[in-house]
Amino acid sequence: MMLASFGAATLASYLVVSGILLVIGVVGFLVRRNLIVMFLCTELMFQGAAIAFVAAGRYYLDYSGQVMVIFILTVAAAEAALALALVVFMHRQRDTLDPDAYGELAE
Amino acid sequence: MISIMQSIIATPAGQIDQLVDIVAPTWAQFILWMPLISLVLCGLCAALKVKTKAPAIITVISLATSFVLTLMLYFGYEGAEVIHIFEWIHVHWNGGSFISDFALYIDKLTLLWMLFVTGLGTLIAVYASEYMEHDVGKGYARFFAGVSVFLFAMSCLVMGDNLLMLYLGWEGVGFASYWLIGYFYQRPAAVAAAKKAFIVNRIGDLGLALAIYLIWSTFGTIQYDGISTALAAHNNDAATFSAFGGWTVHAIPYLLMLAAFGKSAQLPLYVWLPDAMEGPTPVSALIHAATMVTAGVYLIARTYPLFQLDDYALPIVAWVGGLTALFAATIGMAQYDIKRIMAYSTVSQLGYMFLGLGVLSSYGAAYHVFTHAFFKAVLFLTCGAIMHGFAGQLDLRKLSGLRKMRGWKIVSYTMLVGCLCLAGFPFTSGYFSKDAILAEAFVTQGSGFEILGWLAIFTAGLTAYYTFRVWFRVCCGPEYYEPGDELHGDDPSSFHPHPPRVAINFVLIAIASGAIIAALPYFMDNETKGINGGWVAEMVHDSPARGGVPNAVVAVVDGEHATAHEGVANAVVDQDHATHGSILGMDPHKAMYYISGVVGMIGLGFAFFFHLARRKAADSLRNKLLASRFTRWLPIAMENKWYVDEFYIAVIRTPLWILGKLFALIDRGIIDGLLVNGIAGTPRAIAKWFSPLHNGAVQSYAVSMIGGAALVILLMMFMPEIMSFLQSTMIGATP
Amino acid sequence: MTPWLLLLIPLIGAAAIFLTKAELSKWISLGVSLFVFVISILMSVQFEQWGSMGTGLRSETSWINSMGLTLDLGADSVAMMLVLLTTLLTPLCVWGSFNAITSRRKEYYAWLLILETAMLGVFLAQDLILFYVSFELTLVPMFFLIAIYGGKNRAHASVKFFIYTFAGSLFMLAGFVYVAWQNAQTGAGGWSFAIHDLAIYASTKLSATEQGWILLALLAGFAVKIPVFPVHTWLPLAHTEAPTAGSVILAGVLLKLGTFGVYRFVLPMVPEAVVAWAPSIAILGIIGILYAALICWVQDDVKKLVAYSSVSHLGFCVLGLVALNPIGLEGAVLYMINHGLSTGALFFLIGMMYERYHTRDMNMIGGLAKRMPVWSVFMVFFVLASVGLPGLNGFVSEFMCLLGTFVSSTDAQQWPGVLGPQYAAVAAIGMVLAAMYLLIMVGKVVFGTLKEPDTTDRGSLPVDLSLREIGVLAPLAALCIWIGVQPTVLTDAMRGSVEKVLSPYPKRVKEHVEQQHSESIMLKVPESETPDKEDHHA
Repeated sequence: MMLASFGAATLASYLVVSGILLVIGVVGFLVRRNLIVMFLCTELMFQGAAIAFVAAGRYYLDYSGQVMVIFILTVAAAEAALALALVVFMHRQRDTLDPDAYGELAE
Repeated sequence: MISIMQSIIATPAGQIDQLVDIVAPTWAQFILWMPLISLVLCGLCAALKVKTKAPAIITVISLATSFVLTLMLYFGYEGAEVIHIFEWIHVHWNGGSFISDFALYIDKLTLLWMLFVTGLGTLIAVYASEYMEHDVGKGYARFFAGVSVFLFAMSCLVMGDNLLMLYLGWEGVGFASYWLIGYFYQRPAAVAAAKKAFIVNRIGDLGLALAIYLIWSTFGTIQYDGISTALAAHNNDAATFSAFGGWTVHAIPYLLMLAAFGKSAQLPLYVWLPDAMEGPTPVSALIHAATMVTAGVYLIARTYPLFQLDDYALPIVAWVGGLTALFAATIGMAQYDIKRIMAYSTVSQLGYMFLGLGVLSSYGAAYHVFTHAFFKAVLFLTCGAIMHGFAGQLDLRKLSGLRKMRGWKIVSYTMLVGCLCLAGFPFTSGYFSKDAILAEAFVTQGSGFEILGWLAIFTAGLTAYYTFRVWFRVCCGPEYYEPGDELHGDDPSSFHPHPPRVAINFVLIAIASGAIIAALPYFMDNETKGINGGWVAEMVHDSPARGGVPNAVVAVVDGEHATAHEGVANAVVDQDHATHGSILGMDPHKAMYYISGVVGMIGLGFAFFFHLARRKAADSLRNKLLASRFTRWLPIAMENKWYVDEFYIAVIRTPLWILGKLFALIDRGIIDGLLVNGIAGTPRAIAKWFSPLHNGAVQSYAVSMIGGAALVILLMMFMPEIMSFLQSTMIGATP
Repeated sequence: MTPWLLLLIPLIGAAAIFLTKAELSKWISLGVSLFVFVISILMSVQFEQWGSMGTGLRSETSWINSMGLTLDLGADSVAMMLVLLTTLLTPLCVWGSFNAITSRRKEYYAWLLILETAMLGVFLAQDLILFYVSFELTLVPMFFLIAIYGGKNRAHASVKFFIYTFAGSLFMLAGFVYVAWQNAQTGAGGWSFAIHDLAIYASTKLSATEQGWILLALLAGFAVKIPVFPVHTWLPLAHTEAPTAGSVILAGVLLKLGTFGVYRFVLPMVPEAVVAWAPSIAILGIIGILYAALICWVQDDVKKLVAYSSVSHLGFCVLGLVALNPIGLEGAVLYMINHGLSTGALFFLIGMMYERYHTRDMNMIGGLAKRMPVWSVFMVFFVLASVGLPGLNGFVSEFMCLLGTFVSSTDAQQWPGVLGPQYAAVAAIGMVLAAMYLLIMVGKVVFGTLKEPDTTDRGSLPVDLSLREIGVLAPLAALCIWIGVQPTVLTDAMRGSVEKVLSPYPKRVKEHVEQQHSESIMLKVPESETPDKEDHHA
C-alpha cells in the first residue's frame, strides 16, 4: 500500500487534533443547556471526524476519505437546515431552548 | 369349546365364495333407500310446515315398501350375496389397502333381522300416525323423519357387508335414538336422557371402532366374507393365529363385547335404556325394545367365529347376560311406572339373549330376539295406548280394571298376550325361545354355566311375577283411574279417558297375532326338527353364527364339503354327545319344558296373590321388609335401581368434571398465566432496569450513547485478550 | 392460468375498496372473493396433478437473484385442496359479515381480501422465504380484524395472538435459514430457497442431530399455529375475541397453516428426526385431545368451547401426520379440510346467535330450537359433523387418523411407523369426550326450555335465520355430506402427493428400529458379545 508523508507533521498529530475537536464537541454537547450551542457542538464533532477522514485518506493515498468528508458536509448541511428549523419552531412554542423543557417528548 | 371353534373356522370359505358369484338383485338396495327418501320428504314437509298427516303416510308407504322388498328378497333367496353400491372409504397404496364399500351382504341372518325390523317398523309407524296426532303440524314431520333415519341406519347396520357399514348403522341408530328420545326437546328430562343415551353408547362405539382397527390390522380386511376366508385359511390350528399378531385375536372379542353391551344395554352400560323411556312410546317400542337394542346380539352373532378365538370371551358374554337378566328383573319388580318396568324387562330379556349367545345357542338368542321383538313391542304399544288415553298416567297404582272399561278391551287382551309371552307361559312364543336358551345353558359345558342356568330359571320366575304384576294391577280388579299430568288444558275432575281408535287397535292386534304366531317357526323347518330350533335355527345356520345351532356341524357335512371336513365334524359330534350336559338326569331340552313352565306358573301365582287377590298384601310385605333393620335395604335399593346412576355420577362423571375444572384452571393459571405470560413478561422485566435511562433528557441520552460507544471501543481494544481468555476457559471446561 | 391471479385479484380488490364508498365495500369484496373462487375452481378443473405426486400450477419468477430468492408458485394436490378451502371460506366470511360489521367497513373488507392473498400465498409458495413472508403476512390482517372488530378484550387478544405466533415462527425462520445456509456452503448452486431442493438436501445430507434441531425450530413455528398442547393458549383467547369471520378464517384456514407446514416442510425435510420424535409429538397430540376436551366440558362460553374443541380436534390431525403411513396422512389432510368446514360453520352459527342475543353464555340462553328452528337444525347438524357421526365428513377423517395411528407399528409390512395401538386407543377416548361436551352444549343451547336474555329493549324478538345466513351455511353443510359419503374422491386425489411425502419413511423407520435394537443389545450385553449371539438377537 502506498503511504504518504505529511512533512514534519505526522498522521498522529492530525488525529490528535481531530480527537480534541471531538472531545470538545462531546463535552460541549453534554454540559451546555442551549439547543443551539449543543447543535454547534455536534458540528464540531462532525468536523473532528472529517479531519480524521481526510488525514487517513491522505496517509493511505485513498480518496475514499475525502469522499466521506463530502458526504459528511452534505449531511451536516441538510441536518443544519432541518435542526435549525426545528429549533426555531421549538423556541416559538415554549420560549426556551433548554432541552429539559421538552422532556415529555419521550413519552 | 375348542373343537367347535375349529369346526366353525373350517366351514365357511368355500361356501361363501361360491354363493357370492350369484348375480345379486340390485333392487335390494332400495330397502335402504326407501327410508332415506322418506327422510328427505319428511324434511321437506317440516320445511314447508305441512299441517297434515302427510309425513306419516309417506313414512308408512316407504317402510311398507322396504318390508315388501325384504319379503321378496327372502322368498327369492338362493344364497349369501354381496350387493355393491358405491365406494365409501378406500385407501390404497402399493401392496396394501383399506377398503370399506357401501355394500350390502345378504344372508339369512340379515334377512331374519330385516324381516322384523321393517315389518315392525311399518306397523309401529302406523301406530304412531295416530299416537302422535296431537303434534300434527308441529313435531309430526320431525318425528317421522327420525323414524326414517332410524330405519335407514338400522338397515345399514344389519345389511352392511363390512364392519364399517355396521359402524355407520351403529352410530346412525344411536343418533336416531338421540333424535327421538329428545323428541320433546323442551322437557329437560328428555334432553338429558337423549344425551345420556348417545354418550353411553359412544363408549360402546369406542370399543367397536377399536375392534375394527384390530380386525383390519389382524385380518387385513373388514368385510365379513374376507374375515371368514382369513379364518378358514388358518383353520384347525390355533397356533397359526399367532401369525396374526398374537394378542390381537384375543382382544377383538372383548372390544366387540363392549360395543354390544353398550348398544344392547347390558351391565355395566345399561343405564341409558330406562331413561330412554322419555321418548314417545312408539319410539320405545320400535327402537328401545324390538329392534335397535338387539343390534348387540346381531353384532355378536355376526362375528361369532371371532368370539370363539378366545376361550373366555363367550363365557363372559354368558355371565354378563345372565347377571344383567337377574339384576334388571329385580329392579323391574320394584318399579311403579309401567313403561319403566317394561324398560327393565327389556334389559333383562336382552340379558337372556346374551346368555344364549354365551352358552353357544346363537339360534336361541336369535329366536328370542325374534319373539321378543313382537311381544315387547305389543307391551310397549299397549303402555303407550294407556298413556295416551289417560293423559300420561303410567303409575300402576293409579290404574285398575281397564279390562272392563269401554274401548279398552283390545288393549287389555293384547297386553295379556304380550305378558303371557314375556312370562314364558307354556306354548307361547316366549316359552319356546326362552327354553332354547335355558336348556343350552345346561347342555353346553362351560365355566359355571349350570349355575347360570339355575339363575336364569330363577329370573324367569321373577319375570313372570313382574309381568303379571302389571297386568293384574292395570287390567284386572275394580275399575279405577287417575289422569296423568298431560291434560292439555282439560279439567282433572271432568277427565275422561279416550280409548285408542282404529290405527292403534289394528296395530295392537296385528303385532299381538305376530307374537302368538312367532311360536310357529319353532316347529317349522326343512332340515332340523322341532327341538333343534326350527326355522330360526335354519336362518341362523346360513351365517357365521352357525356355531350355536344344534346339529349345525352335521348339517354342514353335506355335498362336496363332506370329504374335506368329515373327520373334524364327526369328532365334534362325538365329543358333543359325550359331553352333552344334563339337568336332574334328564335331557335339558325336554326337562326345560316342564321346569320353566312350572317356574313361570309360580311367578304368575305370586303376582296373582299380591296384585289381584290380595292387593293389600303387597304393601304390607313391603312395609314388613322396611320395618326390619336387616331387610329394609332390599326394597329401598330395588326401588332406587341399586343406585347405579348415582354410583356412576360419583365415580366417573364428577371426578372427570372436577378434572375438567382443574385443567381449565391450569390452562388459565399455569400454562397461560405462568408460562406464556411469564416468558412474555421477561423482556418487559429486563426493560424495567433500563427504563430510567429513557427519561426524556436529551443530554442523558447522549451520555448513555457515548458511554456505549466508549464501551464498544474498549471491548475492541481488548478483544484479543478477551477472546484468548474465553477460549482458555472453554477449552478448560470441555476437554 | 397463472396462480398469480389468485394472489393479485384480492389485492386489487382491496385497493378498489379504498377508492370507493363504504356502502359498496361489502359488495366489491364479495364479488372479488367469488371471482377468486371461480378462478380457483377453474384452475382445479385444469389442474393436471390430481392423484399424482407432481406440482402443478407452476409459475416461476425470479426475485432477488443474488440471494437465491424467487417468487415461484405452484401447488401439489394437497395444497390445491387447501387453496379451494380458502377461496370457498373467504366469500362465505364476507357474505356472513354483511350485517355484523357496521363501522369501519372499508378496512374490514379490505383486510379480509388481503388475508386471502396471504393465505393463498402460504399454500402456493414454492420458495421458503416467500412462504415465510406469506405466513407472517397472515398475521397482520388478522391482527387488525381482531383488534378493531373484536370483543371486549380484543387488544390483549390481538397482541397475544400476534406476538405468540410471530415468536414461534421466528424459530422456524432460523431453521429455514440454517438449512439454506448449509446448502449454500456445501451444495454447488450457491444460495437457494427452493422448497423442493432444500427438502432433498436436508433429508439426505444433514446429520441426525442437525435434523433434530431443525425439527424443533420448525415445530416451534407450526405447533403454535396448529396449536399443539401446551402452546395453544392464544387460540381460545383469539377465537373468543375475534369477530365471526375472523374466527371462521382462524379455525378454517389459519390453523391449517400449521398442519400444512408440518406436511410440507417437517415431514419431507427431516425424516430422521421425525421418526425419532414422532412418539413425543403424538403424545402431545393425545394430551391435547383429552385435556382440551375436558376443558371444553366446563366452559360456559359457547365460542370458547368450540375454540378449545379445535385444540382437541387438531390433536387427531397431528396424530395422523406423525402416523407416517398413507391412511394416517390422508386422514390428516382430510381432517384439515373437514375441520375447516364443520368448525367454521359452528363459528358462523355462534356468530349468528351472538348477533341476536349479544351473549354467548350458556347459562343465559337455552332452548333456542323453539325460537330459531332452522338455526337449530344447522347447529345440530354441524355438531354431529364435528362429533364424527358416520356419513358426515368428520367421521371419515377421524377414523382414518386413528386407524393410521393404530397400524403405525414398527412391524407393519408396508408402511412401518413408530406409534401403535396404544396411542390410538387412548386418543379414541377423545371421541367419547367430544360427544359429551358438544352434546351437553347442544342440550343447553338448542334444547330444553326456552331461555333468552331480555331483548325487548330492541323492540322485536330475534328472528330465525335469513336467506343470506342459510346461504352461508348451506354450501358447508352440502360439502360435509358429500365428503362424508364420497371421501374417496379426495383421498384418491391426494394420494400421489401423500406417498411422495412418505416415500423416505419406510426405510428410515427400519433404520431407526434397527438402531434402537442394536443400542438395546449394547446396553444389555457389553463387549463380551460374540458374533453368533448377535445373530441370534437379530
